[in-house]
Amino acid sequence: MPILELTSLSKHFGGVRAVDELDLTVEEGEIFGLIGPNGSGKSTTVNLICGVLPVTSGQVVFEGRDITGRQPHRVLAAGVARTFQNIRLFGYLSVWQNLWVAQNSMEDRRRENFAKRWFFGSGAERDTVDEQLEFAGLIDKRNELAANLSFGEQRRLELARALAARPRLLLLDEPAAGMNLEEVQALDGRLRTLQQAGVTIVLVEHVMELVMGVTDRIAVLNFGRKIAEGLPAAIREDEAVQQAYLGGNVGTMHA
Amino acid sequence: MVDFVQNCLDGIMLGSSYALLAIGFTLIFGVMRRLNLSYGPSIMVGAFVGTLVYLEFKANALAIAAATVVGAVIVGIYVERLCFRAIRRGAAVASMVSSFVIWMQLEEIVTVVFPDRTYPFPPLVSAAPVELGPFFFKVENLVMFACAAAMTVWLHWLLQYTRFGLALRAVSENPRAALFMGINVGAVMFLAFVIASAFGGVAAYLIVSADGQITPLFGLWATFKGLIAMMLGGMGSIPGAILGGLLLGVVEAQSIWYLGTEYRDLSAYFLLFLFLVFRPGGLMGQLAVEREQAAMRRV
Repeated sequence: MPILELTSLSKHFGGVRAVDELDLTVEEGEIFGLIGPNGSGKSTTVNLICGVLPVTSGQVVFEGRDITGRQPHRVLAAGVARTFQNIRLFGYLSVWQNLWVAQNSMEDRRRENFAKRWFFGSGAERDTVDEQLEFAGLIDKRNELAANLSFGEQRRLELARALAARPRLLLLDEPAAGMNLEEVQALDGRLRTLQQAGVTIVLVEHVMELVMGVTDRIAVLNFGRKIAEGLPAAIREDEAVQQAYLGGNVGTMHA
Repeated sequence: MVDFVQNCLDGIMLGSSYALLAIGFTLIFGVMRRLNLSYGPSIMVGAFVGTLVYLEFKANALAIAAATVVGAVIVGIYVERLCFRAIRRGAAVASMVSSFVIWMQLEEIVTVVFPDRTYPFPPLVSAAPVELGPFFFKVENLVMFACAAAMTVWLHWLLQYTRFGLALRAVSENPRAALFMGINVGAVMFLAFVIASAFGGVAAYLIVSADGQITPLFGLWATFKGLIAMMLGGMGSIPGAILGGLLLGVVEAQSIWYLGTEYRDLSAYFLLFLFLVFRPGGLMGQLAVEREQAAMRRV
């Protein structure tokens, strides 16, 4: 069953078609790669799904529900979380607080009483935060201010924070940017663990080792249009894809 | 020397009410990055609601205080809807200008409903000053200080240890990221406004009941005092608002004693002038600016 369906989704900035009649189907439980040269509309697509940008035309359907044009916090409440291309943590909050405040989002919070929702949360939630910090390898740093973490730790915290809301679909916007090989491998392992836990992942990425290794299927965008879709091995051989990359960004493909 | 210390003590107690006003200002500024000029007038309306309850029902002090706070909060919500919620995505200056318009509106309404200009306001307590060694303490000032201290401690607890407080700090640091993390930014801003108005309402009650009278000009006065105290401390900083309020109170008390009552406001403006020239970020603002820049470089 598809968890996310984009139907002829378009976003025009003036005369520029950043995303143009894009059809995309993401199946439940898969890791779906979204790649393309710089400026091909990958990040715009993520922003359209999350409700950051108003859609020019087309539809975003998540789990059978139309979420086109919903406010970002409502999209999150529906079960779609994201990370940012450039890290946007709350630097003055501690690592632990960054996660805890992000839990404030789950749809079923509405049914909780006022004190739980706005003040203390439940003990179970506090335990969940610690579990997630364990998973992200940040449990030792739980009381550190987020601004004092190293770059790699901040990346991991961002991923953990996106997971704090227990999303069913996770959109990762270049999570491996600036990571060294070792960190990329660790991220690869984390994504697989998440997949086994039942989270569907859309991965927007430039780092090809990660994309080719971890994804089940890949779609390639160029100038806002989908030019190829298929298994990683097939994408690697695809002529139109190689053309697009060689035309724009020589060497990215095999970097 | 005794005089100087006595003035400092008086100033700190007077300043504690300024600190409450400044906290209200700085909460709104910190969360919205917008200045609410009608903050003073809206708590002035609250104080007039208290006056009304006093005149109509001869109510006791507690009921008058409650009416003042509730009135201030309701008018605060009115301001939030009109000047901030409605133009949240518009220019910050649009909010400021419309809050100025609401200020005029509120003053006009009060002047029409209460045509006598000056009204009596019942004191909270009428007890002889407490003597402690060579120093005197007015009871209403002690109450003012105690209330301000308790509310500050409560606010600190709220911002450090509760989920709402963390959400508020997250919004003030990065509203966009907060929105993506599922924080209901609109609701957080609204509640910040309510808290700020409630703080203002308590400050208004304490100040007006210590003065024993109320005029519509109290709104202008409260906006000035709160604004100056906030700027002395550094905009957006709560510790700064407290320090700024206390500093303003002490300087005013000293200048009343050594220069005369007519120099009270003049010395406050002069102090602000010195800060704007030599330390424009305020006592804590500079630090906050530097920390923010450092955080930006790293995050």
